[in-house]
Amino acid sequence: MYFYIILEKRRVKKMIWFEMKKIFLKRVNQVVLLVLLAIVLVGSFLTIRDVKCYREDGTMISGLSAARQLRKEKNKWQGRLTEEVIQQAVAENQAVNASAESEELMLAGRQNLEDIRELVNMGFSKIGEYDYYVCDQIAVDQAADLYEKRLSNLKEEIIGTEQQEKIVFSQKEKEFLIRQYENLKTPLFYEYMEGWKALLDSQYLPTLMIITIVIIGFLISGIFSDEFQLKADSIFFSTKLGRNRAVGAKIKAGFLAITAVYWSVMLLFSAIVLGVLGFGGAGCMIQTGGNWYSMYNITYFQDWLLTMCGGYVANLFILMLAMLISAKTRSTVVAITIPFALSCAPMFLGRVSMLTELMNLFPDMLLRISKFLDVFLVCEIGGKVFGLYLVLIPVYLLLTLMLTPLLYFGYRKSEVK
Amino acid sequence: MELNITNLTKEFAGMQAVNHLNITMGSGVYGLLGVNGAGKTTLMRMLCTLLHPTSGEITCDGKEIFAMDGEYRKLLGYLPQDFGFYPEFTVENYLHYIATIKGLRPVVAQKRVKEMIGAVGLKKAAHKKMKKLSGGMKRRAGIAQAMLNDPKILILDEPTAGLDPNERIRFRNLISELAEERLVLLSTHIVSDVEYIANEILLMRDGKLVHRGTAKELIDSMQQQVWKCYINKNEVGHLLKKYKISNMKSDAQGVEVRIISEEKPIPNAVLEEANLEDVFLYYFGEKAGEENDMV
Repeated sequence: MYFYIILEKRRVKKMIWFEMKKIFLKRVNQVVLLVLLAIVLVGSFLTIRDVKCYREDGTMISGLSAARQLRKEKNKWQGRLTEEVIQQAVAENQAVNASAESEELMLAGRQNLEDIRELVNMGFSKIGEYDYYVCDQIAVDQAADLYEKRLSNLKEEIIGTEQQEKIVFSQKEKEFLIRQYENLKTPLFYEYMEGWKALLDSQYLPTLMIITIVIIGFLISGIFSDEFQLKADSIFFSTKLGRNRAVGAKIKAGFLAITAVYWSVMLLFSAIVLGVLGFGGAGCMIQTGGNWYSMYNITYFQDWLLTMCGGYVANLFILMLAMLISAKTRSTVVAITIPFALSCAPMFLGRVSMLTELMNLFPDMLLRISKFLDVFLVCEIGGKVFGLYLVLIPVYLLLTLMLTPLLYFGYRKSEVK
Repeated sequence: MELNITNLTKEFAGMQAVNHLNITMGSGVYGLLGVNGAGKTTLMRMLCTLLHPTSGEITCDGKEIFAMDGEYRKLLGYLPQDFGFYPEFTVENYLHYIATIKGLRPVVAQKRVKEMIGAVGLKKAAHKKMKKLSGGMKRRAGIAQAMLNDPKILILDEPTAGLDPNERIRFRNLISELAEERLVLLSTHIVSDVEYIANEILLMRDGKLVHRGTAKELIDSMQQQVWKCYINKNEVGHLLKKYKISNMKSDAQGVEVRIISEEKPIPNAVLEEANLEDVFLYYFGEKAGEENDMV
């Protein structure tokens, strides 16, 4: 019995290996993988290049040298951002403004406290009316109210006014948001975090996720339909394991290909960006960066995990669906359009106000988690309120699991006409 | 090993591709002859569990083949008419893959792949990609995959289609060698293919079995005789309309024609010994001559 199980496992592994060979030996797939690698490298370069800072003489530098200088300068403020520290930063900001001989020198002089300056700007601007100069004008004493202001802004401007931004929250949702805000542990810890900000708060990551899913779509769309396209279906389905384990091996190969390519791309991109810009700041709350009003009380590292796992679930769901379509329609071309349609179309359809709420439930939202963490997307299930992503991830994971037997039983019953 | 086909029917959009067919087959080589659209491929696909019958059943040693599932397919070797493969695989890789999905144990698969590559004469091409093989070599790879599991039932659908005469002869010999102690069902519309190797020939038309027997029995079953005569070229049209012509050969003097007819078609006609091609024309003549340009 034990021998039989070992033998079966080896057999299935071998089948998966052959299925992987079918995918990766295809010339078109090799080309799209090379294109994807090039995109990752170019994307990493552009992300790194976006980190800029001024030298003491007011000239601008970017990339690795900028990151080195910023790390050195910003880590002067490393530690808890207490009321005193915030006041000190505001005072220093205003002192630099007053003493600088040129705008470049002013920007160079205060770039070490730019993140804290940004917190004050966001905290004391009206929501939706961001004012870049608030920190330059605010009274130093007033800056101490930064954390209270965050909560009061939520109560007064976001959930208090029903007309505002057409956002209407139920009582339970309001309580949830207030509770989340109150749960944020202050004073926030601060240190240099340009690497994480560049990685998660820029447009490059969601774009790369969309490109990745479309390219993986190319790879896996033929797993099922190619048997028909190549007319290899007759032999495949007339073999002993052709209607059971061989079908399972196809699904597993698809799953492995999605997993391997997705995580390779994401880990490579993250490793290059963080390797160059630095891993520092992983423990900082995302509110310390550009997500001041986020209801998610998570660190940048947790943000990365959430973003990556969400993206992975979206990849699994959308690409499993593409495989199902490939098996049902027997057309690789039709299957290839699925990842493209599901990752891009909802973005545009979501701009139609009637469809916005519906589009928020589409799986493409999981490809852009880091960009939506400061948006108040909540949903109520069974009287409990959750952040949208904490619902979407398990729901799409469950849907993916439900697609698997549909794919298996649908394909194994295929007839060769 | 006995395959029993009982009242088998397959309909496609109201058209009966196989129509209440009843056949019993044991070990031996069976040649399935019929014009295009006779239902040969549909029958073979049902025998390979690729298509479900609309009604009727197929049993293997008394067990329904669809219920047997993998246990039945374990006995099966199939070479389809359109032999599809994975173009980027080498011959060896391809055969290893098929051996795996046929459920062969790795050690057995290793041995059988090597044996079959040798048996079909593809040793030199074993590491060539499938897409680089010639038509004949692809067919040989096809027969090799069908034979990997040493099948008790071997189903070959138009195995010699598209092959040059040398390849066809080689292929026929190969099938003859492999045919021992198994059931081989060979479909073709090239009469000479089955004439040499089939123990029994099944004639199919419009989804039905119209006749079965050995080549001699089928020839004897003809109700008409075969005549050979020389005619002028201008008489050909008239004869074509009136008789079934199984062969024509032109030369400077006129045309030598082979006519199937109950009575002497023209005074100088000479009685000839019938062959299987004449039988084919006798049973399928109308379709072969008028619609499908067969024979």
